[in-house]
Amino acid sequence: MAAPSAAGLGRRLRAWLPRIMPVRWSRYNPSYLEPEVKKESYQKPLEELTEEEREQSELKAVRPIKAAPPTLSSSVFSDPMISKFTNMMMKSGNKVLARSLMSQTLEAIKRKQLEKYHKAPENEKETIECNPYIIFHQALKNCQPIIGLSNITRGGKTYQVPVPLTDNRKRFLAMKWLITECRENKHRRTMMPEKLSQELLLAFNNEGPVIKKKHVLHKMAEANRAYAHFRWW
Amino acid sequence: QLEHGCAPPTAARAGLSSASPRDVPAERPRGVFHTSESDPAKHTEQHEGRLYNIPLEEVKAVFPHGLPYRFQQQIQTFNEARLMVRRPALELLACLKGSSLAQPAVRYVIYGERGTGKTMTLCHVVHYCSRQGWLLLHVPDAHLWVKNCRELLQSSYNKDRLDQPLQASVWLKNFKTSNERFLGEIKTQKKYTWGKRESTEEGRPLGEVVEQGLARVRSASDAVGVLLRELKQQSHRGSFRLLVAVDGVNALWGRTTLRKEDKSPVSPGELTLVHNLRKMLRNDWSGGAIVTTLSQTGSLFKPSSAYTPHELLGKEGFDALDPFVPIPVANYSPREFESCYGYYLERKWLQHEKAHTEDGKAELQFLSGSNPRQLDRLAGPL
Repeated sequence: MAAPSAAGLGRRLRAWLPRIMPVRWSRYNPSYLEPEVKKESYQKPLEELTEEEREQSELKAVRPIKAAPPTLSSSVFSDPMISKFTNMMMKSGNKVLARSLMSQTLEAIKRKQLEKYHKAPENEKETIECNPYIIFHQALKNCQPIIGLSNITRGGKTYQVPVPLTDNRKRFLAMKWLITECRENKHRRTMMPEKLSQELLLAFNNEGPVIKKKHVLHKMAEANRAYAHFRWW
Repeated sequence: QLEHGCAPPTAARAGLSSASPRDVPAERPRGVFHTSESDPAKHTEQHEGRLYNIPLEEVKAVFPHGLPYRFQQQIQTFNEARLMVRRPALELLACLKGSSLAQPAVRYVIYGERGTGKTMTLCHVVHYCSRQGWLLLHVPDAHLWVKNCRELLQSSYNKDRLDQPLQASVWLKNFKTSNERFLGEIKTQKKYTWGKRESTEEGRPLGEVVEQGLARVRSASDAVGVLLRELKQQSHRGSFRLLVAVDGVNALWGRTTLRKEDKSPVSPGELTLVHNLRKMLRNDWSGGAIVTTLSQTGSLFKPSSAYTPHELLGKEGFDALDPFVPIPVANYSPREFESCYGYYLERKWLQHEKAHTEDGKAELQFLSGSNPRQLDRLAGPL
C-alpha cells in the first residue's frame, strides 16, 4: 500500500482507544507503529527496559509512526468513559459544544454535592460523595442492564429472546438511555447540563427513569424465559 | 468576623512561613495563603498573593451588582467570599491613600488581557472605599447600556437624546442598596420638575430623587442624570468622598448596536445615561477618585486581541480620559498560582484524584497559562 497522504489518512478512521478495541479497517501500511503517549514510558532509563522493550524502542527509530487520533490524550485528567460519552452526545461533529456541555455537567454535579456537603451535619459529611467522576462511573454502572433481548424469527413469528450482553453493549446501552432520556423528557428551557446532572445524581442513588427502564428490560427478559433455548450462540 | 488591627510586627515578610495572622482562637487556623485581615486599608505587600474574607452581609450591602457571575456562584458554593490581594490593587490603594481632597479627581484605568482580574481589582478598590465610608457610584458594566436595550424612549428633557428606563431603574435600585445612609444626608440644590404634577423642591434629600426614578420608570434616566449632577457639584465640600467606579468604560466611546425607529444607528452620545456618565468622568470636580476598567469581553466591534487603552478606547475615548494613571493587570505570578491552587484544594473544589498530584498541578499551570479565568474554567469540571 502507498504511504498515506493527508487525503489517504481516511477521514472515517476512528481509532478509539487502540489498545482496548481493534481498529476496524485501516489504510496504514502494516509497518506503521502505534504512537506512545504515556509520559512514564519515556522517562525510564535504558537499563530498566526489558528485552522486548529494547527491541521496540530500536524499531521506533526506523519505522514510521501512525498519526495520533484526536481522542488520544496524554493528560492525566483524561478518562475514556467520559470521552465516549462526549462522543455520543456530539451532534454533527460539534465536539467543542459536546465537550463544554460535559464539563458544565461535571461542574453542576460538583456544585450540587458541595452545597449539600457544606450544609450537612458533621456525622453525615462522609456519606456525601462530591467527586463528579466517581458519581458518573457509579451511575453508569447502575444503569447497565445485565441481560438483553434480541429478535429471533422462528416459523414466521419474531420472538424477543433473552440473551447475554457483552460489556461494550452494556456500556453503550447505559449511555444511550441516559442521553435519550435527557434529550426527550425535559422542558424546552432546561439546559442539558442541568438535566444531565440531575439524571446522573438520581442514577447514582438507583432512582430515576433510566434505572426504571433497566428494570423493565430485566422483567421482560424474565417473562420471556421460555424462549431462551431459541438462542444458538 | 472580628476585625483585627494590623498584622503583628514580628510576622515574617516573605509570607511563606506559617506565622500568618490568625483568626479568633476558637476557629482552626486556615492555610498559609489566607489572611484574616479583612480591611483592605491594612493590606500591604506582606499580604500579596493571599486571600482575604469579605463577610457575606457586607457582600450583599456593598456589591448588589458588580461581582462577576462566576465569582457569585463560587461565593454560593463555598459559602464565603475570598478575594486575592494582588499587586495592581495594592498600587491603586496606595495612590488613593495618598491623594488629597482638594485636588481634581484622578482617573485610573485598569487594563490587561482577558481574564487577568481587572474586575476583581475594581471590586477590591470598591470594598476599600466602602470601608472608608466613601459614596460609591459603581456602574457594573457600561456595555449593558449600549446593547440589547428593548425600550428606547425619546428623552423629554432633550429632544435629540434617548432614554433607557429599564437599565436606569435597575441601576438606581442597586445604587440605593449600596448607599443607604448618604441618601438622607445629601440635599438637592435646585428644583427639578419631572412632569406636569411631580417635582422635587430644593433642599430635599437625594433619596427622594431616587424614589422618583424608581416609581416613575419613564423618568428614571433623568433621575440618574440629576443624581450625578448633584453629587458632582457637592463633592468638593468635603462632607463625603465620591468614588466613581465604571467597569467596561470603553463602551462609552465606542459604537452601539441600538437603532432608532427609522433604523438609523445610535451613537453612545445620544443616550442620556452615557452622556451623563461621560460628564461625570471629566476631571473638573474634586473630592474623590475615578477608577475605571477596560473590557474587551462585552465590547462591540472590537477585535478579541485588543487590550491596550488606545485600541479599546479609540481616539475619542482616549482624548476624553487623557490624563489618567494606567494600571496593568497581569496573569498570576507563581506564588499567586500556588495560593489559588491551594485554596481550591482546601475548599474541596478540585475533586479529581490526579489534581492533587504534582503532575496535575503542572498540567493545570500549563493549560491555563496562569490566567485566572482559564484556571477557574479548567478547575470547574475537575
